[in-house]
Amino acid sequence: MAADAQFGWSGTIGEVTLGATKAEGGTRRVSYRIGGGSTLPFLEKEVSSPSPLIAFEVCDYPPFWSPIIRNYCGDLVNNLAEWTKTADTTYGADLIRLHLNSTRQRNFTDITAMGKTVETVLSASTLPLVIEGSNEPKIDSEVFQKCGETGQGERLLLGTAEAGHYRSIAAAALAYNHSLIAQSPIDVNLAKQLNILLKEIGVQRDHIVIDPYTGALGYGFEYSYSAMERIRFAALKGDTDLAMPIICSAADTLSIKEVREADPAVQDAIAVSWEFYTGIASAAAGAEIICVRHPKTIGMLKEAFAGMKARMGPGGVQ
Amino acid sequence: MTDVEIAKKQGEHQLKDSLPAIKNTFAYEDTAYHLPISFALTGTAVHDKNTALDVFSKTGNNPIVASECLLAEKTATQGKEPAPYTGFIGDTVIRKLGYSLVDGSILGLALVIGTPDSPGAAAAICRELQEKYMLTFLAGPVIPSLSDNGVKLGLEYRLIPLGSTPAYGIHFVDIIARVAMMFGGVTPGDASRLLAYAAERAKAIVIVFPGLSDSEIALVDGMRVLGFPILSLGDYRGGAWISSDADTIVRKGMEEKGIRVNVTAIPIPMGCSPAFEGKSIRKEEMYVEFGGGRSTAFELLRMRPVADVTDGKVTVIGPEIDSMKEGSANPLGIIIEVAGKTMKKDYEPVLERRIHNFVNYGEGSWHVAQRDLIWVRLSKEAVAKGVKIEHLGKLLASKFRMDFPQLLDAVSVTLITDPVKVADARKEAERIYEERDARIKGMRDNDVSTYYSCTLCQTFAPNHVCVITPERPALCGAISWLDGKIAYEISPSGANQPVEKGAVINAQNGEFDGVNRFIRKASHGEIDRCSLYSVMEYPMTCCGCFEAIALMLPEVNGIMVVNREFKGVTPSGMSFSTLAGTIGGGAQTPGFAGISKNYILSDRFLQGEGGIERLVWLPSQLKEELKNRFEQKLAGMGLKDFFDKIADETKATTIEELMVYLEKVKHPALAMKSLV
Repeated sequence: MAADAQFGWSGTIGEVTLGATKAEGGTRRVSYRIGGGSTLPFLEKEVSSPSPLIAFEVCDYPPFWSPIIRNYCGDLVNNLAEWTKTADTTYGADLIRLHLNSTRQRNFTDITAMGKTVETVLSASTLPLVIEGSNEPKIDSEVFQKCGETGQGERLLLGTAEAGHYRSIAAAALAYNHSLIAQSPIDVNLAKQLNILLKEIGVQRDHIVIDPYTGALGYGFEYSYSAMERIRFAALKGDTDLAMPIICSAADTLSIKEVREADPAVQDAIAVSWEFYTGIASAAAGAEIICVRHPKTIGMLKEAFAGMKARMGPGGVQ
Repeated sequence: MTDVEIAKKQGEHQLKDSLPAIKNTFAYEDTAYHLPISFALTGTAVHDKNTALDVFSKTGNNPIVASECLLAEKTATQGKEPAPYTGFIGDTVIRKLGYSLVDGSILGLALVIGTPDSPGAAAAICRELQEKYMLTFLAGPVIPSLSDNGVKLGLEYRLIPLGSTPAYGIHFVDIIARVAMMFGGVTPGDASRLLAYAAERAKAIVIVFPGLSDSEIALVDGMRVLGFPILSLGDYRGGAWISSDADTIVRKGMEEKGIRVNVTAIPIPMGCSPAFEGKSIRKEEMYVEFGGGRSTAFELLRMRPVADVTDGKVTVIGPEIDSMKEGSANPLGIIIEVAGKTMKKDYEPVLERRIHNFVNYGEGSWHVAQRDLIWVRLSKEAVAKGVKIEHLGKLLASKFRMDFPQLLDAVSVTLITDPVKVADARKEAERIYEERDARIKGMRDNDVSTYYSCTLCQTFAPNHVCVITPERPALCGAISWLDGKIAYEISPSGANQPVEKGAVINAQNGEFDGVNRFIRKASHGEIDRCSLYSVMEYPMTCCGCFEAIALMLPEVNGIMVVNREFKGVTPSGMSFSTLAGTIGGGAQTPGFAGISKNYILSDRFLQGEGGIERLVWLPSQLKEELKNRFEQKLAGMGLKDFFDKIADETKATTIEELMVYLEKVKHPALAMKSLV
């Protein structure tokens, strides 16, 4: 029996544009419009709704990156341009997410070099780009100013704004027309509050992507899932302050005990599984962007999304 | 002395008369906004005499528009002035400036204009503006006066020399007009939005030195429309300019415009973070303590006029920590004086409650309870690191400024440790507590049309919504209707929102359609109806913080109440914790309601069930706690002997014993309409 996949909902998730093609004033080969859904994912009677996008995460300071990824990718991680290019052409990512984690070093000041890093990634791949900047009040202003300016015209997604840490990111988004990620600690009301704060400072709704904070499976993911569910339900019921696309990054999966202490022979496989299952669950909860760090997870997620869509006949949910 | 009103009128005429003399066409480089002020106000791109005259008349002969057109023509004809003068600043730079404003790394903008009397005067003012994170624009002879004094100019010094005459001050306005269009979403031609943006968002002030010509006075005075305070130094009188002296002019201007300097670090020798809030300091870890029944202690937060509060000032009256014996209990009075343009007297108790959080933020300081019941401890570890009584004051002064930047301009703290002075000050504090209590005491639910919600607990009870009315405090007992109202005013997007009561659905149960509408939305569609005064039908949801639980006992046709502190089993057969586990988490459970202890004394309590006579059982400790006020209330209702008819655990611990007791005392509930 086919169930009604609309549940009497009236709201629609707002759309956010990521990346800008030449025609749109940027240099990307593709731009995405994410959001726009009017029900939960994988329920639509029409198979037209797009699968979540998969963002591959890279960084500019590998010593702070997971040893599992450093082992798997090898020397590639020390060459950001090649790593980015490989993520695009070989791994099959839809988006690149650059973590400027060099800014997390003590007394980081080299803003100019950081700007060059952004340029490097922008020229290594023509996929739309997500940039994670600093999280240190002393340098935030300069870091985000630089990111915003360097990526002017590219319609970047900048992260990550939090309740006590959003002004610099909002300023960069406003000044250079980028979108931003608004993160709240697994709490629907705080997510809404941050969106309102951003609105008050002038950031338009169609420039915000919600990050509900994604715990690893078995390490709080059920809370994340529940928060996402509630954010999405509220949005579909008409709460426009929560009607934004969702981004999930289950980065913690690579450092949990089960992965950290796994037998070296199977450690890599366990890490991939953990990232995959957390990612697939996030997609089921409605995330529009799933971020991964292990290259192998990308293919698995793509296959899974295709399978989930294929199971839906024209009659909708079976 | 120049009379501003007269000069302004003459200046406006001069500007008007000069416009027809425009001959050449003109345009600025590196801008998409033409003449930005004219463009923002009217949507018209001005590039020649005709469009200039057109826009001038469209804006009601605005002197700013006239000045903009005249200077643009002059620049086009004579070329840009040489360095250091910047003249018109292009869009690329404005984007960066706007960024710093949104980002908060610049707090506001200042225009300093005119001819300083003495060479040092301008330098001191500009230095103060730099220190206070203001971006300052300069126009006229003030510029050579500064550079002659060795003051460095340029964007990197946040001192921007616009041009050699005060007329270049117009660029200050064209910058703000562009920021409004770039960042504020103001569409060109939408004059009212531009003015609203300038007045509300642009944190700009103007400081005027002597020597302005009439037309320059007209230009500066025209900026008042944008909500910029004009502060003048000598030589000017009349008009709406604020005259000031060099020492206070920056402070005055920033206060006038509501620009606040943020506090970021607290200068005390111990950590300070919400992370330490949950820790307690046990007796063996404690160096000294205050209050807690062991010594006299109290806390009080009061509003004062701005002039009476020196921001950041901490005074200790009496002995410091080094003359206190380890392990001893000492008297302590915490008096916090606050001032702020938007601060209201009503906010005092709400802010005062934050003392509890802030003291607990200190790594080695601990605080419980409120008002004259406080209990404060400092740890041995903290004292060994050099923490003194004075540092508690510094912590409080800084935290209040950090957490309420919109509300408070100045906070000072007085800590009294002298036993005689503490006792005296406490008397005064107690008088103020009483005044505050009296303010909410007389209020009735029927007197107001707006209640307040509280969804703070949705973090762990996802669909719970408290509705707080004057006669029904939040079920945690911590937030009254007044607190909810104030919390909403202070933080309009926070957890306390106004709830329009709407039409009455059931007066006895306290069901209103506006409240239902709100609950439906705030509970994310889980709860459709809520009776504010009923335990039986559609009671309010419960989070987990209720002070007490009211529940029906169908066997005796009554309602019993048990509070959190009662550890035993109640006549319902369940203990408080078992009951709490059954009804919490945001569920609506007919027959059960989470309540605050004080709500028992409200006239609304059990209104839906026929009134207070339904109450059959209370723990003896709670009965004792409420006794005086409860008996007074009952006497007023003509129920003088009812108090003793309410059973407690000394009278009945099981439902059978309760039945026997109620029959013995002829409890009125037995004869009331059946509950179920």
